[in-house]
Amino acid sequence: MDAMERRVFLKGAGMGMLAFTVGGASVLMTPGQARAQNVPFRLLKAREAETIEAMGEALVPGAQRAGVAHFVDQQVSVTPGEALLEARQLNVKPPFINFYRAAIAAVDKAAEARSGGRRFAALTAAEQHDFVDAMRQNKIDGWQGPPGGFVYLVMRSDAVDVVYGTMEGYEALGVPYMPHIAPDKRW
Amino acid sequence: MATQEKVDVVIVGAGASGSVYAATLAKAGKKVVVMDNGPDWQASDLISSDIWGRRIKPAGAPFILEGKHPVSMGAQGGWGVGGAALHYFANFPRLMPNDFRIKSEHNRAHDWPIAYDDVAPFYDKVAHEIGVSGDAAAEEIFRPKGQAYPMPPMKTFRNGRVWLKGFEANRIRMVPAAVGMNSTDFKGRPACIYDGWCHVGCPIGALANPLVTFLSDARKAGAEVRAWSTVTRVLTDASGSKVTGVEYYDRNHEKQFQPASVVVLAAWGAQNPRLLLNSATDKHDKGLANRNGLVGKYVMTHFASGTNAMFDEDVEAHLGTIGAQFMSYERYGKTAHQGAFGSTFIVAGFTSKLTGLGGVANTRPELFGPALHAYMKRAATNLTRITAFGEEQPKIENRVELAAEKDEFGMPLGRIIHSYDDNDAALWNANFEEGLKIAKATDAKDVWQVRAAQPTIHFMGGTIMGTGAANSVVNSFGQTHEVANLYCAGPGIFATAGASNPTYTVFALSLRGAEHLAKTWSTVAG
Repeated sequence: MDAMERRVFLKGAGMGMLAFTVGGASVLMTPGQARAQNVPFRLLKAREAETIEAMGEALVPGAQRAGVAHFVDQQVSVTPGEALLEARQLNVKPPFINFYRAAIAAVDKAAEARSGGRRFAALTAAEQHDFVDAMRQNKIDGWQGPPGGFVYLVMRSDAVDVVYGTMEGYEALGVPYMPHIAPDKRW
Repeated sequence: MATQEKVDVVIVGAGASGSVYAATLAKAGKKVVVMDNGPDWQASDLISSDIWGRRIKPAGAPFILEGKHPVSMGAQGGWGVGGAALHYFANFPRLMPNDFRIKSEHNRAHDWPIAYDDVAPFYDKVAHEIGVSGDAAAEEIFRPKGQAYPMPPMKTFRNGRVWLKGFEANRIRMVPAAVGMNSTDFKGRPACIYDGWCHVGCPIGALANPLVTFLSDARKAGAEVRAWSTVTRVLTDASGSKVTGVEYYDRNHEKQFQPASVVVLAAWGAQNPRLLLNSATDKHDKGLANRNGLVGKYVMTHFASGTNAMFDEDVEAHLGTIGAQFMSYERYGKTAHQGAFGSTFIVAGFTSKLTGLGGVANTRPELFGPALHAYMKRAATNLTRITAFGEEQPKIENRVELAAEKDEFGMPLGRIIHSYDDNDAALWNANFEEGLKIAKATDAKDVWQVRAAQPTIHFMGGTIMGTGAANSVVNSFGQTHEVANLYCAGPGIFATAGASNPTYTVFALSLRGAEHLAKTWSTVAG
């Protein structure tokens, strides 16, 4: 890594935050802070972000507040080499936004078909649970998109990341984080 | 295309094998350039986080992954200087004598053109060069005698020790694991502090990654490491009998020619065949070193059978390393399991981080919502696991080939086709069955396994070694049969996979090949 790249990298990582765009300026904050401040999404449409938040919350309680949609949105907007998404390790072909768009469309289309027109975010908690349970087992009839089990794996990983993968997440479960180089008090 | 100043050797890839070649040849006085297509990572870039750790996972041109059991490139490969050895677990088991003669002894797979005794001195040299902790004498119940390791075994923790009762009940002898980590200070590098972040890169140098070992030595000896340099072709002279250097794209995407007397391909295992196939000329119409059609063939991986155990008490799940505390070659015999051919290598005792592909959350992948949270609260402290690695038998149809689709440099993407067969599945299942027996003989409260798709761990083959061009791409030193001044290095040259984690053998074979190249330089470089 050369000096310039290194400065940019350490600026974010040292503070442990991601670069979000607010009023045209790049601001470092956690995804949870970005959500709390209603930072506009870079690539996700409002409906897409709503689905990611609802799915994230159904998968891991707390994911919505931790800013799972802002995390995904920020990550799909950077180059694949900078992305920190589990999708990268799961061999999802860049650009990653294409996968998320296809996954979200598959989820909402299937939800609408099952519920008489309601998107996933509008399902009750019990309906969401049953939907996710069927999706993870590839048992949703008429599913159109990346396999349901794979969508479950990727979106569950994102939710796990923002809730448990941080220093705060470890602390909440009573596990010492013990970093050599601390990403940040949150990351 | 601009032409750079000629060097003695250009090494493609700054990972485990490339770093050994770079250090050895630079110390021998050769002018060395190491090309890598990714960033020039420093140890201080290795942040302790599963999330940030993904920055050192593959990000170059993707491979198209096909077959019944697609290769898990994203998790296994590397990105940038240090390669996959920046995030490897540093388990240092070795191949055993029986790995080198499967054809002779069982009329299956291949014999290697060398024996264990040819490699063993290099295992010892590597151990003393970069630091290995373990108990060689204890290991010698399984293997021929050799030198002692330079450091005593690593500390053990409850997450490892609670398994010993189960292994004993099943008559599986466990010995201290050999690992490329420091149990004591070693050559100016500090001892491990057991925080378990090895798999995202060890920034203190307690783990023997290339940045703090061979690559550091190479740089001190004058080798140049050229990051963000993507090699697309190996070029040959008009006669086709010698390579003349490599074509590459620099960080500004400008095409360059780097002349060299010798070329060593030390990229990721599938990238070496991709480069050879993309270097076809009228003299090598099927690709370089590929007159026999064997470039890209016999791709092999390992399959892990993991067993989870939940205890009533805290087993110090967060402590230790991501490598193992205990290991066993008890099932390394090729016919150790009835009805399933191939070796098995067993490890126990490692840190369980909460997230990431190998993290706690994925030990119950079917759980979500409040049930997942309840599980995480318990498993974060009370979960521990063992793993048995199985050996895939080589199959010619498991291969790397070029695809029609091209990358940003106009180079055809690689396609990796990989499937296990019934025998591989039988060995995987036999190791699951035994893992359950072991776990049930411990004091664990609950034991379970996750059997989803058969995993594809590590990457070997594609440029295998053999006795001649009739059966292989390279000789035992990695030199291609077809072009004398062209070498391949890394796990791609393994003739068979064994069941042991491959990097210790990669280091040993690379050192053997590099030392031989230095000794025979005038003949090879001409």
